Amino acid sequence: MSPLIQCPKCRAWLLGGVFNRPDVAPCQSCGTPLQVEVFPALFRKILPGPTAQAVLVEGESSCFFHPQKKAVVPCAGCGRFLCALCDCELNGQHFCPACLETGKSKGKIKTLENQRTRYDTIALGLAILPVLIFYLTIITAPMTLFVAIRYWNAPQSIVRRTRFRFILAIIIALLQIGGWTAFFIVIATSK
Amino acid sequence: MRFAVASVSRSSLWLGDDHLLFVECAGYTETYKRFYYRDIQAFIIRKTTTRAVWNWITGSLAAVCALAVFGSWRADGLDSGMVIFFSIVFLFFAVLLALNNLSGATCACQIRTAVQTEELPSLCRLRQTRRVLDKIRPLIVAAQGQLTAEEVSARMLETIQAENPAEPPEPASPGSAPPVIS
Repeated sequence: MSPLIQCPKCRAWLLGGVFNRPDVAPCQSCGTPLQVEVFPALFRKILPGPTAQAVLVEGESSCFFHPQKKAVVPCAGCGRFLCALCDCELNGQHFCPACLETGKSKGKIKTLENQRTRYDTIALGLAILPVLIFYLTIITAPMTLFVAIRYWNAPQSIVRRTRFRFILAIIIALLQIGGWTAFFIVIATSK
Repeated sequence: MRFAVASVSRSSLWLGDDHLLFVECAGYTETYKRFYYRDIQAFIIRKTTTRAVWNWITGSLAAVCALAVFGSWRADGLDSGMVIFFSIVFLFFAVLLALNNLSGATCACQIRTAVQTEELPSLCRLRQTRRVLDKIRPLIVAAQGQLTAEEVSARMLETIQAENPAEPPEPASPGSAPPVIS
């Protein structure tokens, strides 16, 4: 990516006047008030990645994925030997591409996790939304309890770490089940 | 520590030890994007006219309600149901109008790294965005260092001249082709 920055409105290249100022300044081209905070990373050169060296001496450790390339590091996940090309460094640890993919899909490597399902919100939604059509609660109340109990220990939101919604959903579901039980008891006893 | 929330798009920004966490809630899933302080290249803030638009909308509706209150009062007296109803609706829009102006100017904020430029919908008010930047800036400076306005302009000119030595830098023009593409 070029170190030049475009005006977000007119896409003209910004050359000066708006960078690292305490207040907004107009774009030289369209006059849109802009404030651009620039950091040294913008001008950092992207260095080419390491290249794998070929195995020169017979018996020298070679890469699991490229047997003709020299191994430089073992994978922290599976222990396989990796060449410089297959070595993916993450927070000081070295992984092979396969372990990196597994770590991402199974949520084993926290910093690679980019999505989570909010089961507590699902449970609360199941408990609250059908109240509008009350007859549905006969089905959704047990479903709410199932979701709340089944996913009680599932990873929650990275940023909100309380089980308040689960607890609220369970209470509402129990009230609904209690209501239905009372309703059926009343019907049964009145006959 | 959370410091910015967008009510409509349900996105928020969280301050981590070595990164900025952008959380986007879509229904029952949360999507995370991490911007490491060492990788952040720039924040681009553009002042928008959203506040003026909302002022027009809420102001017009409040004015219509005020006229309706006045009309009902003249026709039926002060204690009629219509006066009470339109007074409540008027108050609602008046509060919205006041809140819109108290929150300050609106803006759109983008964060840029070497591989992406991402819109941050949670930073939609200029005052709030500056407050957030004041918190983030020391962390980025600690990870990367700092540049003054003059240094940035000088380095940009250097980059242009290094990559296009024959052509002197032209002033910015809309839609022009980027001068530096190799």
